[in-house]
Amino acid sequence: MKRIKQVLGGDLRQYTMVVALVLLIAVFNIISDGRMLTSSNFQNLLAGNAYVLVLALGMLMVIVIGQIDLSVGSVAGFAGMVMAIAARDLNLPWWVAVLIALAIGLAAGVWHGFFLSKLGIPGFITTLGGMMIFRGGVIWISKSISVPAPAELKWFGSGYLPEWGPAFTGMNNSTLLLGIIGIAAFIIAQVRKHKASKENNPIWAVVVRICIVSAIIGYFTWLYGSGRVGTSFPVPGLILLILIIIYHTITTRTKFGRNVYAVGGNKNAAALSGVNVERTYFLTMMNMSLLAAVAGILFVGRSTAAGPADGTSWEMDAIASVFIGGAAVSGGVGTILATMVGGLVMAVLNNGLMLMGVGADRTQVIKGFVLLAAVAFDVYSKKSGSGSVFSKLFRSEKK
Amino acid sequence: MKKKIITMLMAATMVSACLTACGGREGAAESAPAQAVEESAPAAPAADAADAAEPAAEETADAEASAGEGFEDGATIGVSLPWLGTQNWKEAETMFKEQLEAAGYNPIVQAADQKVPQQQQQIESMIENGAKVIVVGPVDGTQLGAVLEQAKDAGIYVIGYDRLLENTTGVDGVVQFGSVKTGELQAQALLEGLAKVKGEGPYNIELFGGGPADPNAPNFFNGAMSVLQPKIDDGTLVVVSGQTDFTQCATVDWDNSKAQARMDSLLSGFYSDKDIHGVLSPNDGIARAIITSCENAGQQIPVVSGLDAENESVEWVWSGRQYSTVAKPTDALVAETIDIINSLKEGKGMPSTDVTVDNGVKDVAIYELPPVVVTKENAKEVFANDPGRMELLK
Amino acid sequence: MENNPYILQMQSITKQFPGVKALDDVTLEVRRGTIHVICGENGAGKSTLMKVLSGVYPYGSYEGKILFMGSEMKFKNIKESESAGIGIIHQELTMIPELSVTENIFVGNEITRKGLVDWDEERRRTVEILKRVGLMIDPDTLIKHLGVGQQQLVEIAKALSKNVKLLILDEPTSALNEDDSANLLNLMRELKANDITCIMISHKLNEVAAIADAVTVIRDGHTVESYEVEAGSVDEDKIIRAMVGRSIENRYPEHVSNPGEVIFEVSDWWVEDPEVEGRMVCKGSSFNVRAGEIVGFAGLMGAGRTELMRSIFGHNYGIFRGGTLKIKGKEVKINSVESAIKHGIAYVPEDRKNLGLNLLDSIRQTIVSADLDRIIKRGLLSFEEEQIAAEKYRESVRIKAPSVDVGVNTLSGGNQQKVVLSKWMYTEPDVLILDEPTRGIDVGAKYEIYKLIHELADQGKAVVLVSSELPELLGMADRIYTIFEGSITGELAKEEASQEALMKRMTITSVS
Repeated sequence: MKRIKQVLGGDLRQYTMVVALVLLIAVFNIISDGRMLTSSNFQNLLAGNAYVLVLALGMLMVIVIGQIDLSVGSVAGFAGMVMAIAARDLNLPWWVAVLIALAIGLAAGVWHGFFLSKLGIPGFITTLGGMMIFRGGVIWISKSISVPAPAELKWFGSGYLPEWGPAFTGMNNSTLLLGIIGIAAFIIAQVRKHKASKENNPIWAVVVRICIVSAIIGYFTWLYGSGRVGTSFPVPGLILLILIIIYHTITTRTKFGRNVYAVGGNKNAAALSGVNVERTYFLTMMNMSLLAAVAGILFVGRSTAAGPADGTSWEMDAIASVFIGGAAVSGGVGTILATMVGGLVMAVLNNGLMLMGVGADRTQVIKGFVLLAAVAFDVYSKKSGSGSVFSKLFRSEKK
Repeated sequence: MKKKIITMLMAATMVSACLTACGGREGAAESAPAQAVEESAPAAPAADAADAAEPAAEETADAEASAGEGFEDGATIGVSLPWLGTQNWKEAETMFKEQLEAAGYNPIVQAADQKVPQQQQQIESMIENGAKVIVVGPVDGTQLGAVLEQAKDAGIYVIGYDRLLENTTGVDGVVQFGSVKTGELQAQALLEGLAKVKGEGPYNIELFGGGPADPNAPNFFNGAMSVLQPKIDDGTLVVVSGQTDFTQCATVDWDNSKAQARMDSLLSGFYSDKDIHGVLSPNDGIARAIITSCENAGQQIPVVSGLDAENESVEWVWSGRQYSTVAKPTDALVAETIDIINSLKEGKGMPSTDVTVDNGVKDVAIYELPPVVVTKENAKEVFANDPGRMELLK
Repeated sequence: MENNPYILQMQSITKQFPGVKALDDVTLEVRRGTIHVICGENGAGKSTLMKVLSGVYPYGSYEGKILFMGSEMKFKNIKESESAGIGIIHQELTMIPELSVTENIFVGNEITRKGLVDWDEERRRTVEILKRVGLMIDPDTLIKHLGVGQQQLVEIAKALSKNVKLLILDEPTSALNEDDSANLLNLMRELKANDITCIMISHKLNEVAAIADAVTVIRDGHTVESYEVEAGSVDEDKIIRAMVGRSIENRYPEHVSNPGEVIFEVSDWWVEDPEVEGRMVCKGSSFNVRAGEIVGFAGLMGAGRTELMRSIFGHNYGIFRGGTLKIKGKEVKINSVESAIKHGIAYVPEDRKNLGLNLLDSIRQTIVSADLDRIIKRGLLSFEEEQIAAEKYRESVRIKAPSVDVGVNTLSGGNQQKVVLSKWMYTEPDVLILDEPTRGIDVGAKYEIYKLIHELADQGKAVVLVSSELPELLGMADRIYTIFEGSITGELAKEEASQEALMKRMTITSVS
């Protein structure tokens, strides 16, 4: 037990959802005769859920400051639609259209941020209004008819990284390079951390940790890289990966990130510590809508057209991911990485049930139960304070 | 405990060894045959080494090229429907399941709850499951481009069901009732009904369209308008609200409650001192919403067209509340689809047809079936072979 | 029984909380038809006594006996005490702002006819009762549209509607202006004439002197004195002596102060209550602090101490209505907490859990939280710097915790306060405002915090110490300001200060 703790580095509770995710993948893989762990399925899994995970990044921060944003789906749909229309009717190059979509997201965020931070209208109401405004806006400007998007955008939504270099690797070399970079970055970070840390975690634990993580990254590199020729780690996945790194850094390593947690944990104490609460609210909401626009672009890219119903109820998927990832309804608690795990749990569940041929109706029911179970479990383990079922299992093993 | 760690280490080494030593997509196929099989022919567990040796070539091969090969019994057939919220879709789901199974296939029939991303993922999981043919009744015919092309790349036939698949090269043909024809029939039934029920013209009418995200909806509307417009121009028909544009008349998501709300406001806004004589309705649900609205407003029930021959509307037609509906017998559509699948199975490729439609990217083969107008007079004939609906005509 | 002169006899009441004896053998006897005043410092046990009486602490959770109108009472909840005829008006008003006067008076007690609320009857009775308290308002007025004084009267009307025999008023005038206060005292006299007995808890000795028929002084959970008086000729000094009565033990570390130049100067500072328009919570306050000096602020709760300090700290409270601030001789304009911190001011709030800490944070996150700029390296927060800073304070301030990664919610009150102090020491302020820094902390930890305060002063910082505990101020401060109802009422050097002298200025007696 102690050794496992040393390898994993501290609190085991944070791994509960990771374990759940691994189990889900394993179980579905067995039930579906190995159709879960295939290159194409994982490519689809990432490309098909990237937009929800992008939304969840922003939603995590919104929920941590103790607010909620119901408008994200509508904003995503609106930004995507404006982009498609701008490209089609104004003959703008695709990248200008993308910039316009991002600007729309930013503007929507400024709008929500203004009402929340300057007028003090709760986020729930501000964004409920935004949800109606932007949903109506999509239908209005599109005249309820889908608009085809510039072909270049397909690359963002369902594109693959280029093939290059020697063929003997037998993989998509872009993916291989990504994997190598990932492993190298992890090793460097671990070594640095080990040097800086005063706790004398034995060197073997670090080595084992590096080996395990490298093996995992290696496996996924192989999984993504060895698919059909021309496929690789999907572009939306890469965009998501970059955003995860950026937002993980923002939330953990910047003053703004700290302020977000401070405001969510105790608004009054934060104000008395010199945190500008209004500005934190404003920036968080603005960021959320900007990410909503990114999600909208990814989705339009994948769908090859912007539709009037795009974004309907996406906010709920994003919110569910955040809460499955262990964020607190009252704010102040939650991390980017856990949220991504939460989002992946939902995605794998969805994907696995589809592979098994379970209908949308029953899938929805199962997802609902999973959400409740995850949050109930979280509340329970916090209350009992005795750690997760996971750590209990290990404790009993020690006897 | 120690043992565990050693096992972990070993697993780690093995995976990394696999990474370096047995890389290569062809090589990978040998060392991990399961994966290779998934990619090339997941439904064919008997895939032999020869097949596995050149999966890449087969995958990238054009669909036409492999058209002659056909596929074995028990092949997986994917059917992705938009939702099960109306009777015809629910019927389609049941029929596909039963008839495909009866024909010796392994059907996966799923519905997407009217959500595009859901449908995209469903189709992907069908590809994953090794489907040979995927039948798609799209939520939004324009938004499946990338996924369908992916299916095509995997050598899968894609057949559109009931609605056109637009904006993609990944479609082999579409089975549907002539949607322009349907509109024409609806309009003709409306004119006929007005003459029969409401006496001499001019007649006050209103127009309703279907869900704008459904590519059939404008076709219905345009088909109907091709019949109605001349009569509007010569004054026989008067659209009192003046709303004759499709976007004005459309009903988002085919949502009955939205249609009813629109009818309510039309009646209170334009018909406080007039009678309404007829309404063009694109389907039965909307037709009933319109009739209910008129009844609530104290109007004589107008002549209303419909579509789908839903049970409740069949009863309404029988009792005279709704003048007509158009039956697009789901069984005929399903049967036609299964015929095509059979032809593909036998290696005969897509059956030939003269009708093609430009979907924005390519000309798509259309397999059109004629719809049937149902009024009280001919209901018994039309449903003679449909015991379920005959039950309603008592 | 009928000729029992006492309406209420509370005999040998003892109430224990875990670790604390809040009331120890308290006896209170109240004569029928009198106004009985209970005096005592904050935390002396007055409110606890009233909660025992009104059933908030149910029978069985205390020892002793309550006789009301001659018979023993065993209240299990407020409802029971109410139906027996005891009404209590709390210091904080408990009206529902969005409901009308009528609805508030009958909330939980609705008059119904055939299962439906009989509005006409309720309104009729409301008007009747409002007349008794001298309020001429529409019974349909929403509470939120009434002034505080009027709300107080409605509260009393509500109690009257339940046919009270004994009305308890807990510091009823603390939120009222002078006119409203006078009005309320008159009403109490009228109630007395109508044979309703009142128990009033008050700090305002001038009011006590004006209205009391009997006075009971409680200190540290004991009854110190109880005697009858004649309204108008009350010896206020005697009450004060009884209230503060204890001697200052040697609970404060030795310290020789060494004040330098005046580095912090506040003059003519005005702040308006954000809730009550026109009510000033700071009325032209002026004070100064020297480098290395500890300046105390004495005042009872609600006197405006905290409000003044929070207003100075970047306008964190209330509506700023004027005043100037000089730091090291230079006038500065400070409009936000952020700029207050930048100008070298630090404020340790009185409510540690709600204002001082984010209980979700760990020690290391808390210590750097008021000055994150200091741990930024190459644009990102550096965990190593954070660790170094946190470890440094854990050692120097002697925070007892296994590691700096533990959550502050797991620490004891004393250690939490040390973390808060560390957080503000980390900003390297020139001026440190400490608002009740030792509240809720055990004696040992208090001593350590006093030593810390001395260290800070020795480093040349100007320290402002706000406290309700007079012995603490006398033991720690070099100079003490007194504050009453938003005004600074006195300034005493350590040598001339005594509890009596302070209390006199904190309560405004009629003689001054």
